[in-house]
Amino acid sequence: MTTQSRKRPAVPKQALLAKAFHWVNIISLLLMMTSGLQIYNANPVFGGRAGWHFPDFFLLGGWLAGGRHWHFAMMWIFSLNLLLYGLYIFITRRWKRRFVSTSDIQVLQAGQNPKRKAYSWHRLVYTAIIPVLLLAIASGLSMYKPAQLHWLSGLFINWQILRTVHFITVPIVVLFAFVHSLLALKVGQIRLVKSMFT
Amino acid sequence: MQLTPSPRRLLTRRRLLQAGISGTGLLLGGCGTSLFSRQLNQVFEPVNQQVEEWMLRPQAPVPEYAVSAIEPDKLLINTFDFTPQIDPAAFQLTIDGAVERPQRLSLADLQAMPLTSMVIRHVCVEGWAAIVQWGGVRLQDLAALVQPRPEARYVYFESADGYYESWDLPSVLHPQTLMAYQKNGEPLPVQNGAPLRLAAPIKLGYKQSKWVTSITFTPQLMERQGYWEDRGYEWFAGL
Repeated sequence: MTTQSRKRPAVPKQALLAKAFHWVNIISLLLMMTSGLQIYNANPVFGGRAGWHFPDFFLLGGWLAGGRHWHFAMMWIFSLNLLLYGLYIFITRRWKRRFVSTSDIQVLQAGQNPKRKAYSWHRLVYTAIIPVLLLAIASGLSMYKPAQLHWLSGLFINWQILRTVHFITVPIVVLFAFVHSLLALKVGQIRLVKSMFT
Repeated sequence: MQLTPSPRRLLTRRRLLQAGISGTGLLLGGCGTSLFSRQLNQVFEPVNQQVEEWMLRPQAPVPEYAVSAIEPDKLLINTFDFTPQIDPAAFQLTIDGAVERPQRLSLADLQAMPLTSMVIRHVCVEGWAAIVQWGGVRLQDLAALVQPRPEARYVYFESADGYYESWDLPSVLHPQTLMAYQKNGEPLPVQNGAPLRLAAPIKLGYKQSKWVTSITFTPQLMERQGYWEDRGYEWFAGL
C-alpha cells in the first residue's frame, strides 16, 4: 500500500466489459419495461379491458403497434447483452469471484461484521436478479411464440399464469434497482457507484 | 435570469444517478416516440420475420388441447367495422389468382369436403388468449383442389366487411390452417365470422379473417398487405 492510498481510499476499478454490460442492461431493460407496459395496457393482465391501466408517463411506443415494435427490437439488445455477459463471466471465471458464494451465505447466517454482511447481501441480491432476467426471457418467448415453443409455454400451465409471471418481472426489477443501489452505496459509497458508471 | 441554474450544475453525475430510472422514462416516454418506433421497426421487422420463418415448421401440427379445456367466455369479439349478414344459401367462396383451376364453392361444397376439427389456443395481439375448437376445411385441401402454380408465394383473403389479409404460402398450407364453419362444436356464430373464417394456431388473431369471401394466390406481396398491417402492425405475426 502506498501512502497516497492510505490518505484517500482507492477508487474501485471495474472491468470495461462489466461496465458495458451494466449500461446496456439498464437502458435496454428500461425500454423493454416501458414498451411492455404499453402492450400490457392493450389488455391488462389483471382485469382485462376493464382493469387498471398504467398512466402514459410509463409507456413507450404511443400505441400497441409502437409498443410491440420497441419490445421486439429491444429484446435482441437485452437478451444478446445478457448472453454475451454470461459468456464473459464463464470464460473469465468471474462468476466464481464476483457472485454470491457459500462463504457469503455463511456470513449472512452467522457473521458479526456488519460491513462484511452488507457486502454479502449486495452479492446475493445482484446474483439473484440474473434468474429473474432469464425468467423474463423464457416467459416472454413463451408468449411471443406459444405455438412453435409449446414445450416452453406449457411449463407455465396456462396463459394467465404465463402473463402474470412475465409481468411480475417488472416490479421485481424496479425493486431490485432500488435495493441494489442502496446496497452499493452502503458497501462502497458513491465511489463504488461511480466506478460502475464511468 | 439568475433563477435558472446552469445546465452543467443541474446535471451533475450524482443527480443523474439519483434521478435514475424515472428520469429516463420521462425522456423516452414522451410524445414523438411512436413516430420513431416505425423507423426502428423498419430495421427489426425483417430480422424478426427471418427468425419467425425459420421457427415455423410448416407441416408440424401444434399440439392440441382437450375438449374440456375450451374457454368459451375468453374469446372476445374484435371487429374493425361492422358485422356483415351473409345468406349461407347464397354464399360463394371464390378461389383464384395464380392457380390452375379457379373455383367457386358453395357452403354445401365446402361441407362435403373432409372436416378437420382442432382445439387450439387463439392468441390476440392485445395479449389475451382463449382455447377454442374450430372445425372446417383445411386450406391444404382447398389448395389441392385449385392447384397453385409454382410462382404462387402469398395468399390474399378478402372479407365481406372490407377486411383484408395476406399470408405466406407455407403458413397457409399448414395442416391446422382452416377455413372454419364451426366453433366449439356448433355452427360458426355470425359475430365470429359466419359463414366462413380463417382459423389457425400459428398466427395472431388479426391474421384470422372473418366472413371470408375470396382467396387469391399471388406471386408477390402487394402494397396492400392487410388492414392492421397497413396501419403499422407486423405482417408475419407468427406464433
